[in-house]
Amino acid sequence: MSTTDAALGDVDFELHRRRFENATGGGLALGACDPRGTPIWPGADPGSLFTRTLAQLEGSGFVWDCNGHAFRHRVLDNGHAMVHAPISPPPAAPLGYLVAVGQASKLDASAAGFASTMRALEDTAAAIRAEQKLRRELDSLALELAARYDELHLVYSIDSHIRNFSGGWQVFQKLVELCAQHMNADVAALVYPTLDVTLSATNLSKPMFNLDLVLVELRGDLYRFIQAGKQSVAINEAGDERRGYIFTGMPYKLLASPLYLGNSVAAILALVNHDDKPDFSASDRKLVEVMANQFSNLLHMYRMLEEQRTFNRQIVAALIEAVEAKEPYTRGHSERVSAISVDIGRELDLPEAAIDALGWASVLHDVGKIGIPDAVLSKPGALTRDEYTFIKVHSERGCEILKHIEHLKPVLPAVRHHHERFEGGGYPDGIAGKSIPLSARIIAVADTYDAMTSSRAYRAGRSHEEALLEIRRVSGTQLDPEAVAAFLRVCGRDPAWIRTFGILRTQGDD
Amino acid sequence: MRILIVDDEPHVMRVLTLCLRREGYEVDSASDGAAALTRIRSQPPDFLITDISMPGMNGEQLCRAIHAEFPQRRFPILVMTSMTGCENREWASRIPNTDFLEKPLSPRNLIARLAGFAARP
Repeated sequence: MSTTDAALGDVDFELHRRRFENATGGGLALGACDPRGTPIWPGADPGSLFTRTLAQLEGSGFVWDCNGHAFRHRVLDNGHAMVHAPISPPPAAPLGYLVAVGQASKLDASAAGFASTMRALEDTAAAIRAEQKLRRELDSLALELAARYDELHLVYSIDSHIRNFSGGWQVFQKLVELCAQHMNADVAALVYPTLDVTLSATNLSKPMFNLDLVLVELRGDLYRFIQAGKQSVAINEAGDERRGYIFTGMPYKLLASPLYLGNSVAAILALVNHDDKPDFSASDRKLVEVMANQFSNLLHMYRMLEEQRTFNRQIVAALIEAVEAKEPYTRGHSERVSAISVDIGRELDLPEAAIDALGWASVLHDVGKIGIPDAVLSKPGALTRDEYTFIKVHSERGCEILKHIEHLKPVLPAVRHHHERFEGGGYPDGIAGKSIPLSARIIAVADTYDAMTSSRAYRAGRSHEEALLEIRRVSGTQLDPEAVAAFLRVCGRDPAWIRTFGILRTQGDD
Repeated sequence: MRILIVDDEPHVMRVLTLCLRREGYEVDSASDGAAALTRIRSQPPDFLITDISMPGMNGEQLCRAIHAEFPQRRFPILVMTSMTGCENREWASRIPNTDFLEKPLSPRNLIARLAGFAARP
């Protein structure tokens, strides 16, 4: 289909023909052809007067141009005559010609009524032109609308991914994949050199053998180029002079947009296509800028969350330091109990949020020991009843300390109850069974294990195997059998922490 | 490749028609479920894209009617549904060869999906 056909192809010619017939009283065959005389309308009917006339003219050296006149008149050699007028007025290049053919008598230039027939022909040509123009305008509006739909779709998709954002790079990876898919790009990449992060997704139309090298180029020269230019860049042509310093020797098409943190370019979002794919268009560029913008906001959130997390970790580290400074022999106890508790939690398939809370609770479970006199804490040997009372308040005390931190609300029950006994009779509340929060029951197992295997002021640590025997023995009385079973399954897989925590083994291996 | 679009919103229809024609697809349209059924009876399309909320017979009813009348149909159905809403989608799982297309609709995305379908054996 030629472009001219497309330009007039959707005009409602039948309507125009009826109007023309009404104006002229009929008797003329009306048709339209492109600027070279190829029929556009009506369809090819070899028998029709219009088609026969056009066929006859083709190859006869006939020139369609009206030379700036509104119409041209020609007497044909078969007793017929023809008039044609350009569709679109001079000096514009004609989209095509409107042609009327009929008996020579009907189209006699000297006859009365010829002038009004010609006016009707010109009016019809003008009406076709007007309709065509409106249709083109409508089309361009529709295409503009299509581009907006694309944008909206993209923003909504990004939005639905972001809604569950809780930090971490996974969401960025997902978004990069979305970008490759939505933009139908061979490669999409988010490059954040200051954090040494490059996330990429491929949606290859054909293999790309030097993908690693492409990513290196993105991280290096392209990133620096955009950082300096502070705007999006599209490179399509093989001869683009910017290729001299970006993507040297690689024929790919490239589209990249900056991500801002404050006023500086922190990262870039880049698309790479094989050279046989269509050029990156203005609307592609717009879309990538929209995405880059969303990424920037997300990056900002990510940074804030990271800062918050670092702060939390540091506060917790300080609290642990405070406890361990008082009780040097239990150094590392909090971390060990935490690692083991989290392993048990995962073995029990706890949801991620519960694992998170378990992690905090287990690392902070002994924070209440800050309130216990040093003499009691580090006393070798058995404690008197009064001293033991001091020890017993530490779980409540821990709860008191941590309740000042809003964020740690969910971990308070675990801290309070980690010394309850499964059959009841523990402290501080003496509750039993499932009334004890699961996280507290888990921490109790890890705590008991670590208390046995680590060395104290008055004794050396026991071996892993001895500790397991003891834990099995107290399962169901002191400890929750479910948590114990999960712990034993974890131990069955010979977890790395047995070695990293330097726990003794009796059965000779290691 | 002939595509039948069923939607009562003229702007959606216009945009889709234009974008698909530019990609070389032949596009036919119907503004409600009943009209769509008539079209399918006279000439089954290669693809059917339908909106879900329409006056008269809606998208779900149309899909059920098509499945009842043409249980062996070859052409895939794409149902346009809101990305943000929470319409029930479960009914579609019982009608084979039916999938969802999320609104706001992206013509770019649709064309990629169609190409993916066409490439399927």
